[in-house]
Formats: sequence, C-alpha cells, structure tokens
Amino acid sequence: MNSSSATLVLAAHLAVLSSISFGGFPTVLPDVHDFAVAKGWVTDQEFANFFAVSQVTPGPNMILMMSFVGLKVGGIPAAIAAALATFVPPCAMYYLSYRLWDRFRDLPWQRIVRRGLAPLTVGLVIAGGYVMARSAAIGWQSVAITAAAMALMLGTRLNPLWILTAGGALGGLGLL
Amino acid sequence: MLDRPESSGSGDRVPLSDLFIGFLKVSLSGFGGGLVWARRAVVEQQQWMGEQEFAETLTLCQLMPGPNIVGITVCVGAKLRGAIGAISAVAGFILVPWTVGLTIGGIVLRNAEIAVLQNILGRLSASAAGLLIGTGLRLLTPHRSRRTALLFAGLAFAGMAFTSLPLPIVLLALAPISIAVAGLESARAR
Repeated sequence: MNSSSATLVLAAHLAVLSSISFGGFPTVLPDVHDFAVAKGWVTDQEFANFFAVSQVTPGPNMILMMSFVGLKVGGIPAAIAAALATFVPPCAMYYLSYRLWDRFRDLPWQRIVRRGLAPLTVGLVIAGGYVMARSAAIGWQSVAITAAAMALMLGTRLNPLWILTAGGALGGLGLL
Repeated sequence: MLDRPESSGSGDRVPLSDLFIGFLKVSLSGFGGGLVWARRAVVEQQQWMGEQEFAETLTLCQLMPGPNIVGITVCVGAKLRGAIGAISAVAGFILVPWTVGLTIGGIVLRNAEIAVLQNILGRLSASAAGLLIGTGLRLLTPHRSRRTALLFAGLAFAGMAFTSLPLPIVLLALAPISIAVAGLESARAR
C-alpha cells in the first residue's frame, strides 16, 4: 500500500472510531492498536512509545497520539489527517447536540440511555488500560509499575503527573 | 428545569481571541485532570458559564462520543459566539499544543532506539496504562451496587481485551441490551 492510500485508510478508520468513542478516546485504543499493528504500520513497541509520549504532553493527548500513528504511516500530511479524523467528527456532533440541548434534555429516555451506556464506557476504559499495559509489558518490572500506578491512582489523590514522572524516572535510572 | 443563566460580565460579545487564548491555557495546564482546569477557567476565571450550566454541559458531553474536554470547549464556544466561537475555542485548545507536541514528540520517537530513552518510554507507558485502569475502576465505583452494571462493564472489558472483535461490533451488540436492562430496572423501580 502506498503512503497516500494508507493515509486515507487510517483517516477513514479513525473517523469511524472517533464517531463512536463514547467515554472518550481511550475506549477505542484497543481497536486502533489491533488495526495499526495488523496493517504492519506500527509495532507493539512503537504503539506503546506513542502512548507514553502523548500521555506526558499537555493538551489533547489522544489527538496527538493518533497523529504519531499518522506520522509513521505517511509523514506530516498523514499526521494532520489523523488529527482531523480524530476530532472533527466528535466536534460536529458536540456542536449539533448543543444546539438541540433543550429538546435533548427533556426527553425521558435520556437518563435510561445514560444508565445503560455508562457501564459499557467504564468497561471499555479499563480494557484500553489493559491492552496498553499488555503492549508495554516487557518483564515483571513493567507489570509491577502498572500495578503500582493503578494503586496510587485508586488510593491517593496524587497528581497523575507525579506518578508518570516516577515511572519514567525509574526506567531512566535503570532501577526497574 | 434550570434556566440558562445569562452570561455574566459586561454582556458584550466575548472576543474570539479570548476564547482562543482561554482554551489554549486550559489545554496547556491540563496534564492529568483536564476537567479540573476547564472548570476553573470557564466557571471561576472567565465566568462564561455558571456552575450548574457547566455540570449540565459536561453531562451532555459525556453522552456524546469523543473527548469530553473538547466537547466542553465546543459548547462554551458555541454558547458565546456560535459556530465561529466553537471553532476559535477548539483551535485554541488544539493548534499550539498539537504542533509543539508533534515536533518534540517526533524527535523523541525518532531516537527511541537509545537504550535509556527506551527504558524511560517503556516505564512511562506502563505507568500510564496503570493510571488508565485506575481511572476506569474509579469510574466504576458509583455503579458498585448495581450488579447488572458490573456485568455489562465486565462484558465490555472482555469483549475488547480478550477478543479481536472491532469496537463497533462490541458496542452494537452490548449497548441495546444494556440500555434495555436499565430501562426495565427503572420501570420496576417506579
């Protein structure tokens, strides 16, 4: 596949996923991972690297992460296409639904739909974390770090940035 | 139903550049908890929305696909200045951080072979994955008492984590059943 048709395939796939990414983009990470790895565009390792770099960058990190996939697939044009595919469809939907806000809010089934979708969203977020943990897992040390970060997230109100910094520092110093 | 509060402040039209810069700041400060910064800017500092209106908007955004913070950005922009306001706010949120992130990140990733960098990235990724799992588990706590909610969360998790089914299939299969069950439960509760 040449790079411009690969760019189109990637952008089309991301546009579909971003349109159904209820609960945010982390819920579609497993799908993007399988898709991009199966196409031979990125390796497990590279995908994990994209995740790491985008998570320590302030701002729209999932848009950035998809752009890294694009960058690998077809350079800067593909990075831009991937970014647009990731945020334009949801933005259009946000805009339209905000316009319909009042009508939307009065519908009685809205609460039921939310109650039904919420658990699915949560399950998908956890699956996103699990799949990323699996692709970052090289040895027991990675597993230990994932478990520790999860425990700190659950048990403390620590700023997540400190947890990320600590994880990166342990790796940099070769302690774990 | 709550009336939408009048936009506070002077009542004049908010300049598009204020929207751009306001959400650029939110974006740059939003390392872990982007929502915290968005609320601070929109409700406390700029007073573009009241507390209640902000909460309602967030609920709307959570119902929709996509990143919730971007959704808030779109809604605030749309409220203040319509379509062009939404575009300015989103541009502020994305443009500068994205360009800087892609440049610096691209350089880092090109040198990912370096052993030390590889170690750092590997452990960063492992920690970030743990944070994501922890966030998911935290989101699950309000549903703890509903056994059916835990079941559907488990099914969604298993569907994505242990099968190679694409997300649309998993969602299309589970969402109607999960919504129907929620409907039955609330009908019985009434």
